[in-house]
Amino acid sequence: MIDALMRLIGQVQGFVFETAIQPVLYGLGLMDWAEDVFDGLEIPLLGGLAICLTYLLFRPLELWRPVERWAERRAVRTDIVYTLVEKLGLVPAILFLLLTPIGAMIDGFLRFKGYIPPTLEQIFPAFVAWPFVTFLVYFVIIDFGEYWRHRLQHGLSWWWALHSLHHDQRQMTLWSDDRNHVLDDILSAAWSGTIAILIGVTPGEFPLVIIGFRLIESLAHTNVRLDFGRFGSALLVGPQYHRVHHSIEHAQPPFDRTKGCNFAVILPVWDILFGTWRRAAEFPPTGVAALSGPTVRCGYLAHQLAGFRRLGAAFRHLVNRRRPGFVASFPERPAAPYRDAAA
Amino acid sequence: MTGYLLSSAVSGRARPPSFVADPCSVSPIRSIRLLRRAAAITAACIALAAPAGATAKTAIILNSDDDSLSVIDGTTYKETSRVHIGRAPHHLMLTPHQNFLIIAMAEGNELVFIDRKTGILARRLELSDPYQIGFSPDGKWFVANSLRLDRIDIYDATNFKLAHRLPALTMPSHIAFSLDSKTVFVTLQGSDKLTAIDLVSGNVLWTVPVGRQPAGVWMRKSGTLLVAIMGSDHIAEIDPRNGAILRRIETGNGAHNFQISPDGKILYVSNRVAGTISVLDADTLAVKGTLNAPGGPDDMMLTPDGSELWVTGRWRAWVEVIEANSGVLKATIPVGRSPHGIFLY
Repeated sequence: MIDALMRLIGQVQGFVFETAIQPVLYGLGLMDWAEDVFDGLEIPLLGGLAICLTYLLFRPLELWRPVERWAERRAVRTDIVYTLVEKLGLVPAILFLLLTPIGAMIDGFLRFKGYIPPTLEQIFPAFVAWPFVTFLVYFVIIDFGEYWRHRLQHGLSWWWALHSLHHDQRQMTLWSDDRNHVLDDILSAAWSGTIAILIGVTPGEFPLVIIGFRLIESLAHTNVRLDFGRFGSALLVGPQYHRVHHSIEHAQPPFDRTKGCNFAVILPVWDILFGTWRRAAEFPPTGVAALSGPTVRCGYLAHQLAGFRRLGAAFRHLVNRRRPGFVASFPERPAAPYRDAAA
Repeated sequence: MTGYLLSSAVSGRARPPSFVADPCSVSPIRSIRLLRRAAAITAACIALAAPAGATAKTAIILNSDDDSLSVIDGTTYKETSRVHIGRAPHHLMLTPHQNFLIIAMAEGNELVFIDRKTGILARRLELSDPYQIGFSPDGKWFVANSLRLDRIDIYDATNFKLAHRLPALTMPSHIAFSLDSKTVFVTLQGSDKLTAIDLVSGNVLWTVPVGRQPAGVWMRKSGTLLVAIMGSDHIAEIDPRNGAILRRIETGNGAHNFQISPDGKILYVSNRVAGTISVLDADTLAVKGTLNAPGGPDDMMLTPDGSELWVTGRWRAWVEVIEANSGVLKATIPVGRSPHGIFLY
């Protein structure tokens, strides 16, 4: 069935490219982009599939056992735009155009110096015969990298200024996973690119499994009263686990907002290993305490502009400590303990 | 043989380049489990050992986006197996002595050598981003282009030691050699240029514009070059001494690659945008006909008797088998994503 589905997606991809896109590339004299555009077409196709699956699987959960109910869902609509922009390929296209030449330049330079980025199969030759195992090992390593990237997103004031866009949503839903500033996306891609130079890129043979991982990330943001339990929460990041990470108040001892807890993206083992795991059977309200109003409840472009302003404030504070900086990075007032949202 | 087979599958990193002289210089067996997995890989390759016949008995297709290799039965036109072979396999070719089939793994940074007689995966050799590959006619030089990193690597083919590494204009792609094996010609697909490089010195002899997004390049027996102009609808005949364009022959939109018939009389040109194959008289370059090959025709290969033309359909994940004389489509065979290189036995 999976093969048949991939075959169908591949045929749609080929048909659309051959009949609609390739003639345009040819007419514009851009046939040197043909392979890249063809490969890139997979992003909106698989992204569209991911969106459909996310909605069909998780929206019923939100209707069934929501943590919060809102009379007005305008802020959610912005997250839908974020999801469409990300999963249908606009942001990935920007990242590709911006970062691919830089990555190729660095990679090319290293090769002229005699360094060939290895793949895991070369480091551990036994993996050659086990492509799916190789894929899973890559996944674990990349998830480990994501954990530390996430730690830095909270730990570095200027990066937190950007990442605060992801956190300032007080109506967190299945759509909230892609709510990120474009500069944050660029930094994340650069982070992934650095890992790729060290261990190579993940094999491209299992795109549907990658969709599965994206679904887990969307589920983690879903507005549902769902707890995997003590054992399950140690195995896989779920809605309750991640909701605690998104808690509006992280300042409750021993946690601190800029440090936070439950940073893991998919595998909680990293939080357990590095002491950031918080097991709390609560469903706190989400958001950033210092951020509310129009800077949070706004459209996509206004939200992106707010991100630039927050980043500017953070940098000004780094240059001159007397400047106020990005207020959410440096809470001056003691935080109130958070309450269960349903309370 | 078992140890030979196993070690090749698990060898990974390059050893000293001794495979030609001593392909059996292997490490001991590591485990039964690995042996089984290695055997699974080889099971697909072993079909290569099938004897050549009038038509293709076995076809090897490289699925570049799937990191896999499809083996197709040339009599039933069915895919008999598909195995993981390594990262981004794009092109493949025989070594000069035809002992090994080399598969170039661009993202895997390696060449995979398959013993032609036994079909056994003989070894993996680390090599930086080999996309297009080619041996000079005298077998002394091996050239590997990195399309992604804009680089042309020239190796001593006897030991695969790097002789020259040249930065290139954007997207160095297809390769051809002069008949005297002194010069390599490379199309620079991201530009409108063709470049000529002296193999001994590594010096660039000339780089000239030949047409929008040049792709395939072919050295004729007469000594002139042909370049497929992918951004246009023609091939260009080029003077290899200076890159001067001698004439243009219209074929079809997106002219991409060449394939000569076994008797050397017919030249086929794949037209990627038009979805056709142009049939040319190899001597006069007169267009004799056009074959339909939808799906982004890319690499081609003919059966030994020239009766069937096999074409990879890059965009539609299939291989088409066309009767060369009549142009009848005999089979469309589903394979993995983005099939590129093809080899027939």
